[in-house]
Amino acid sequence: MEPIKKQADRKTLIYSVLWAFVYMGCLFVLKKAELSKSAGILLSFVPTVFFVLFIYHYIRSISTMDEVERRIQLEATVWGFSLGLLLLMTLGLLDLVVVLKKEDWSFINLIPMFFLFYVIGIFISRRKYNGA
Amino acid sequence: MKNSIKVERAKKNWTQEDLAGKIGISRQSINSIETGRFIPSTVLALKMAKVFGTDVETIFQLEKTD
Repeated sequence: MEPIKKQADRKTLIYSVLWAFVYMGCLFVLKKAELSKSAGILLSFVPTVFFVLFIYHYIRSISTMDEVERRIQLEATVWGFSLGLLLLMTLGLLDLVVVLKKEDWSFINLIPMFFLFYVIGIFISRRKYNGA
Repeated sequence: MKNSIKVERAKKNWTQEDLAGKIGISRQSINSIETGRFIPSTVLALKMAKVFGTDVETIFQLEKTD
């Protein structure tokens, strides 16, 4: 692996871990601590900064990939986005006919599913192009 | 589209890793192209032809279904 690609991959990993920690930290504080409404709203936007940094480095790392790896990432993202959209559409329709429990289907619970959809996409596209 | 990358590699006694290093892509990507799972761009096809010292048509050939 070339040094530039290695460096870009490492930065993406670092910022993804950083974002995940900040997100989990904010989630913990918002759930456990008794904050004022304005402090809570402010804290809700803190992970956005780290998410933007992560996305910036993720896109930069994609630019260092070769064309097969880029296709894999593209198809994985399409899978992730499509499955996420499908989930939201289905929940939206279900919400009209049945009462969905907030503790099961709140936005907080849906976020890990989007990550899972991307992982499913990576698995499918890697099998398609690498046969692994 | 079919290709003769494996044959050209064998002529040079190169592994997939060797070829990948020469054109700056991963070994997995070479494998995807060699097995026909991925059709490379013109730039990559030209790079490959250059390192093999041949022309693109020798490495990549259209099939009747293309």
